[in-house]
Amino acid sequence: MIGTTKKPMTEILQALEGHDKVALVGCDGCAKVCLTGGTDEVAALSKDLEAQGKQVILEVTPERTCNVAKADPVLKPVQDKLQEADAVLVLGCGGAVQITRHLTEVYGLTIPVKTGLDSVGHMDTLVPGTLALEQCQECGQCILNETGGICPVTKCAKGLLEGPCGGAQDGKCEADLSRDCAWILIYNRMQALGELDKLKRYMGPKDYSKAARPRTLYIKEGRVT
Amino acid sequence: MKLTELFRQKKSVITSEVGPVKGCVRLNGGPPPEFLQEALNIKDYVDAVNITDNQSAVMRLGPLAGSVLMKQYGMDPIFQMTCRDRNRLALQSDLLSACSLGIDNVLCLTGDHIKFGDHKAAKQVFDIDSVQLLHIARGLNEGHDMSGNQLTKATNLALGAAATPSFKPLDLHLLKMEKKVKAGAEFFQTQPVYDPRHYEEFARKTEGFGVPVMFGLVVIKSPQMGRFINDNVAGIDVPESLIQEMASVPKEQYKAKATEICIRLLKDIAPMCQGIHFMPFGWSDIIPTVLAEIKPYFPK
Repeated sequence: MIGTTKKPMTEILQALEGHDKVALVGCDGCAKVCLTGGTDEVAALSKDLEAQGKQVILEVTPERTCNVAKADPVLKPVQDKLQEADAVLVLGCGGAVQITRHLTEVYGLTIPVKTGLDSVGHMDTLVPGTLALEQCQECGQCILNETGGICPVTKCAKGLLEGPCGGAQDGKCEADLSRDCAWILIYNRMQALGELDKLKRYMGPKDYSKAARPRTLYIKEGRVT
Repeated sequence: MKLTELFRQKKSVITSEVGPVKGCVRLNGGPPPEFLQEALNIKDYVDAVNITDNQSAVMRLGPLAGSVLMKQYGMDPIFQMTCRDRNRLALQSDLLSACSLGIDNVLCLTGDHIKFGDHKAAKQVFDIDSVQLLHIARGLNEGHDMSGNQLTKATNLALGAAATPSFKPLDLHLLKMEKKVKAGAEFFQTQPVYDPRHYEEFARKTEGFGVPVMFGLVVIKSPQMGRFINDNVAGIDVPESLIQEMASVPKEQYKAKATEICIRLLKDIAPMCQGIHFMPFGWSDIIPTVLAEIKPYFPK
């Protein structure tokens, strides 16, 4: 999922300055899991905005706002409400905001689309409602087969491919002592699997052309450019 | 001169380390800046002096400029190069520049994490790492860049690497050291350990690599410095007994006590390594005294 955190109310109000009628669009996908943009959070923010003198004229929460197939069926029937709004505030990831903006353009509306959240990474939920971890950077060149299913590109603070730096202390990362050193985790895992020899292989520099942004995925062909 | 040449002559190599100033250095006939003066003070006692590269991620004068200045004063620099601040184009370009400017030795490092420095909001690069930098630098020595393009003239650099004898698990660190050797490392400079038995185990396990290892020694100048290192510097563990030993003398005797500790430690460790790398943090003046005492203990 895409991890999100709530922007402070002061920043949201700054973004909505001069826009009194607000349409709220949440996301019952990742943002719901992060407790930042599901139906409940949209309702709560609606109350808060009303208390700040805003008029919330629409509250909708598509199942996955980043996917036009899910967002369009929810937003299309309420185009007139969107047209009436001074601004749309999206409680979703950066993708959800931009799909919403894209759909307003498709509907022929020129209306500011703002975000109420910060996107903080591709996250995996470890403890539902409590803890999610960043474990993948979508580098386009997965090496998990070589590293015991633990990604050093993401979980090593320096993204090292050839082994640990010299800074680990008692198995913890020098950059954050609350976190395990990714390479010690990999070493222990590979040792348990009887595959330590694999770690002796020179991995070589990563091909960052595969992560050059913005990438486009042609789904049918399985092709990325 | 390339350090590899000295190792070939079976010499016990002595190096020290200085960190460039945070500022521009334009001498205009004036006295050399402090970091150069510190190196000059021990010119006759060391074979080369490392110039650090934005050490601890704190922005300073670059090691290439520092190395060139050192050459101008007749000393051999070891150009430290980290992967934190430059991508693969910049690193290769700087290696070509270093060799073109007369530098013979480079120490290939990954680099400290940006969070330890004074530009914490900076984007850290780590496009490549220390093992890959060694591999790339060896390619430049062979006459091609990392994309396989031929150079008009190959570099001729002695390639050094770092090692951390205190790393746990040590076998994982040894695995990485082996990768560094295969990638092109021709000598190692270690982080310090203060227990000779600990170093003995490390020396025994690395002697088969066939690459000279220089024991690195950070001079503990005060009990406070020992504690600061334990709390803030990754990869170095200063024993409480050493901190207490420093604390057992009045402040004005710290330098004499530090000298005594260095001599004691190096008498045990010098026979097990191919050289000593001092990290004196401003106390370069103790190096001549220490060397005079430990010379008989170097391997014959």
